[in-house]
Amino acid sequence: MTYLNSLDYLKLTRWQKFIYKLKCFFCAIPGWFVDKGKKIGRFFKNFGLKTADTFRDIWYTFKNGSWSTRVSFLVMGFGSFFHKQWLRGAVFLILEVVFILYMVLAGGYWLSKFGTLGTVQSGKQLVESPLLPGEYVEVTVAGDNSFKILLYGLLTIFFIVALIYTWRLNVKQCKLCDEITRNGKKIKTSGEDIKSLLDNDFHKTLLALPVFGITMFTVLPIIFMILVAFTNYDKNHNGYTNLFSWVGFDNFNSVISFGSGLQVAFGEILAWTLIWAFFATFSCYFLGMFVAIMINKKGIKIKKFWRTVLVMTIAVPQFISLLYISNLFSTNGIVNATLMKWGWIDSPIRFWGDGTLAKIMVLVINVWVGIPYLMLITTGILMNIPADLYESARIDGANAFQQFAKITLPYMLFVTGPYLLTSFVSNINNFNVIYLLTQGGPNNYVWGDVGGYVAGDTTILITWLFGITTGNEANYKMASVIGILIFIVVSVLSLVVFSIMPATKREDDFS
Amino acid sequence: MARVKLTNVKKIYGKNTVAVQEFNLDIADKEFIVFVGPSGCGKSTTLRMIAGLEDISEGTVEIDGRVVNDLQPKDRGIAMVFQNYALYPHLTVFENMAFSLRLKKVPNDEIYKRVTEAAEVLGITEYLTRRPRELSGGQRQRVAIGRAMVRDSKVFLMDEPLSNLDAKLRNQMRAEIILLRKKINTTFIYVTHDQTEAMTLGDRIVIMKDGFIMQVGSPTEVFEMPDNLFVAEFIGAPKMNTMRTKLERDGDEYFVSPFGVRMPIGGDKGEALKAKDVQPQDIVLGVRPEHITLSNSKNPYAVPCQIRVKEMMGSELHLHVVTGTEEKIVIRVPTVDIAPHQLAALVPGVRIYITFRSKVMHFFNAETEHNLLTDGNGTVQSAEQPSDDVVDAPETKSEE
Amino acid sequence: MKDSIKQVEYFEETEGVVEFDMDIDSHSAEYESIELDESGVQQFLSEQEASQIQHVQSAKEQAAENKTHMSQTTKRAISNTIIHVVLALMSILWILPFIFIVFESFRVESTGLAGYIIPHKWGFDNYIRLFKETEFGKWFLSTFLLGLFCAVVQTLFILAMSYALSRNRFKGRKLLMNAMLVLGMFPGFLTLILLYTLLSGWGLTGSKAPYGLAILYVASSGMGYYVCKGFFDTISHSLDEAAMVDGASKFQIFYKIIIPMSKPIIIYTILMGFMAPWGDFITARFMSNNDPLGFNVATGLQWLVGETRVDRYYTTFCAGGVVVALPITLLFMFLQKYYVAGVTGGAVKG
Repeated sequence: MTYLNSLDYLKLTRWQKFIYKLKCFFCAIPGWFVDKGKKIGRFFKNFGLKTADTFRDIWYTFKNGSWSTRVSFLVMGFGSFFHKQWLRGAVFLILEVVFILYMVLAGGYWLSKFGTLGTVQSGKQLVESPLLPGEYVEVTVAGDNSFKILLYGLLTIFFIVALIYTWRLNVKQCKLCDEITRNGKKIKTSGEDIKSLLDNDFHKTLLALPVFGITMFTVLPIIFMILVAFTNYDKNHNGYTNLFSWVGFDNFNSVISFGSGLQVAFGEILAWTLIWAFFATFSCYFLGMFVAIMINKKGIKIKKFWRTVLVMTIAVPQFISLLYISNLFSTNGIVNATLMKWGWIDSPIRFWGDGTLAKIMVLVINVWVGIPYLMLITTGILMNIPADLYESARIDGANAFQQFAKITLPYMLFVTGPYLLTSFVSNINNFNVIYLLTQGGPNNYVWGDVGGYVAGDTTILITWLFGITTGNEANYKMASVIGILIFIVVSVLSLVVFSIMPATKREDDFS
Repeated sequence: MARVKLTNVKKIYGKNTVAVQEFNLDIADKEFIVFVGPSGCGKSTTLRMIAGLEDISEGTVEIDGRVVNDLQPKDRGIAMVFQNYALYPHLTVFENMAFSLRLKKVPNDEIYKRVTEAAEVLGITEYLTRRPRELSGGQRQRVAIGRAMVRDSKVFLMDEPLSNLDAKLRNQMRAEIILLRKKINTTFIYVTHDQTEAMTLGDRIVIMKDGFIMQVGSPTEVFEMPDNLFVAEFIGAPKMNTMRTKLERDGDEYFVSPFGVRMPIGGDKGEALKAKDVQPQDIVLGVRPEHITLSNSKNPYAVPCQIRVKEMMGSELHLHVVTGTEEKIVIRVPTVDIAPHQLAALVPGVRIYITFRSKVMHFFNAETEHNLLTDGNGTVQSAEQPSDDVVDAPETKSEE
Repeated sequence: MKDSIKQVEYFEETEGVVEFDMDIDSHSAEYESIELDESGVQQFLSEQEASQIQHVQSAKEQAAENKTHMSQTTKRAISNTIIHVVLALMSILWILPFIFIVFESFRVESTGLAGYIIPHKWGFDNYIRLFKETEFGKWFLSTFLLGLFCAVVQTLFILAMSYALSRNRFKGRKLLMNAMLVLGMFPGFLTLILLYTLLSGWGLTGSKAPYGLAILYVASSGMGYYVCKGFFDTISHSLDEAAMVDGASKFQIFYKIIIPMSKPIIIYTILMGFMAPWGDFITARFMSNNDPLGFNVATGLQWLVGETRVDRYYTTFCAGGVVVALPITLLFMFLQKYYVAGVTGGAVKG
């Protein structure tokens, strides 16, 4: 592959240019991977170096530190007390005490069971009666609870990591205090610490609660669910009456291994999910843009009215319109009844009963749902396109269609590139439209009856998950595996799209 | 009312992008000092370090004898006017000006008094109840200055305050700042990229390039005795004509041969060269456009050249000419000295003769670009310092 | 005048004359292209220029030009009419379902799917049944209270998050933002399996589901900071700096400068917070675990048209839909401006 300089490139005909670009694209792919690989390598190298630095720093702190610093290595916060930073010292000390108490009273227990997820089955057991030696009576013994062990074990690991981090902070703090005393400067008092929470450290105050919420209600559950994918947690192993345990990659194998029912179902559903997401995103995008352009066109009357009509339909909660439309098209719904009354059809069309028809229906109705929203977004952006671009294009002799193709579309794609990606991802996870319209149906018994739930022709991954986890045959381990696979699909897609997209916006543009 | 002293100030962004270095400057009480330089030279960064909006990587900043490196901006006793005014859009002009006083819990009567006084001085009394967006650019600028005035600050910092105004308004505001300065009577530090502003406002000018100070001096000094080629070309418009040539010595006489015409250097410049015992060398000769005059073929030192472009400015004429040695230079001719028929004859393609006296020549070493006749004041770094590690970090802001 | 003549002579050695000719050519091309397009001829060409061009063109050509011009106007009129018709049809298509639902909600004679729109007998029976026979009153109230709760607490969370991420450069900031981006790619609904177990341990599921929902909605709401942060990013940093020089602390900058300036985005955030519980289906369904007492309006109304109940409650569902949609649509109408601003800004920021 020889690269042309820009003047040679300009000499090419349009077709040659296209071929050249295509060639460039494919030739760049290995380089791209090498680049990414290098980046990852660099990341690990930096990480290693940083860790080494941290340990070295800790060691030097110990070696060169004052005696109070050295004591702080064992009794957290001692150094802070020594430097009269009562508040910090107290916080460190309390954290250490609470942690030790927790580990002794509960944490140690959960952690010790974490490796097996419980060994003692609860249930009825025969034990020797304390009153009548030799007699055996049946008593209920509370055994282990795998679910709790997994959860609290995980929490305990969280706490340990948090304590190590706090300990490191404590050491850093001591080092800082030592340095400041050595330079003869003043150490911040507790009062100043509190004041700084509203000033220089205000972001810590602001972030504390939201980040805590995210950690406990998003991060922890996600890690938990990832772990579940490596267990056999399902209806038959609910963790209480029947313990579950680690099974390694078995669940992944059963989804990926060729020829298994799960593999077929997963493949079918993944394919439809991607098709759905693609068409749902782009049909709404282009039609919405088209409507926006129509409304914005010079000479169109009562623009505001058209816009308002569409915007109002956004206001009505989606589930109402979706449920209502779902019923409109049901076998004895209004559409069928009307068509029959007019004599256009003899028997009702089974809009939701036929796989292909149902697929088309959800896409069409999604367009109905999506157009107003996209119209709004694109109107705003269309108005931002500098008018002189069009004026100069007109002077250059571009007709209406050429103006759209050469100015409007590139501009829109450039500005809304990231939005398209997020929209694609949210369509992959678009539960409401699919579930409220078809609930994933019509059921497909050819490949759909796996995982304790019958998947249908319009089932996308997220509604499949819903079925698998809420039905009578709840199969949590499979749900987790599918969740992880969705995550992989989405993240790979985002990574690729983001690295292809030109770096459009920089956050720090202000400086 | 304070002295500001910067000692060895250095600013490093990230690991090794240096924005400012070896910045030493002693600003006297009530002095008006101007930092000037092309974009990315570190002038705004320096100002922001004095203000406390940027950390100081190395060195110390003292205000009134106190090291302020670790102080918050609010504790440094400074007031600042921003390039884009930075007025709070949701507050009225009055509240904008009163904002700092309210935070300090100054009594209401006192606030009223101080704000109305400042508004009076700036002539914005009638706008006090309006919001910033209802004001014109010039009025906003006044409010920004007023906001800085109401605080009794020791140092008044201005970061390109006029660059967002149109040319006419800028001239007017420049004059007003000169008047204002007399009324406020405090130390001013003023940043600009416009050399006219620097020349007209400053008691002293600090010319910067790539993070280094190139010269510090009064407007007259930097104009007449530029320390180096950069300063020489930066100050004055249109910029100084430069040409590579050789400085030759014949006994007590020095010669230069610009454009193939050998000229003796007499007068003060000749004396000065002699006094410093300058050796013959390759030099860059600099002559300002306004110091070149039209001449005729009878003058033995006249340089023949051909007019390429003629720019009629009204009171003066800018002629872009090319010499016989194919060097392009600009000359600036006051139209008042030229008869109308001659003026009409000066058109592109026409050949003319130009000349200049040795008094207006500037000599720079061809390699170091230092002025052969100045000592440099120690802080000057040679202009060919490697500049690849100097980045125009926060400076770009001003040019956007 | 003499000047300009000499100038031309001077350039004659180059390609001056040719240039001059090309100028005229390009002018006429320009004229045609504009003619084909919109009615902006006068805008682009002064009369003088136009007359110049007319010299170039023969009378015959000119006549032809005029003819196309005429048809062009009619063409435009036709295309505009078509667009008007299309827009009118679209509006009907978009509005119709909502009109249908209102009609059906007043139908008295039957309660199931009827196959016609306009009721034979009108009445408020369905509305009465809605509140008497179903738990709709409870669903509506709990959703409404949840909406208020989210509007307040979620807004505070999001404001805190976006201000911290937009205005401060602290260690780990990029890491935090990337982490949230990655977390967002995980199907969040899976976490409900654990959260359900957790919350049911505290007794906050089933019929008490609204309380559990309150915690869930708010806890992770910090992750929806994008739009708000995008807005904060557009506020010039020199305002912060000016306030710092004026002696304001970060907290004072937040509530005295940034918050008052951000009214539109705050209203948008509040509106979004209030609307979220009304549209949420999946979380509410999971947490209520099919207990009608713990439903919100979405799960409740979906339950009403479930296969076994649709014949009895279809019209009641329509009535419920109207009762839910009415207040929200009204609210939306008043705050439309802010919604549009927020949505557009969010899309551009990505």
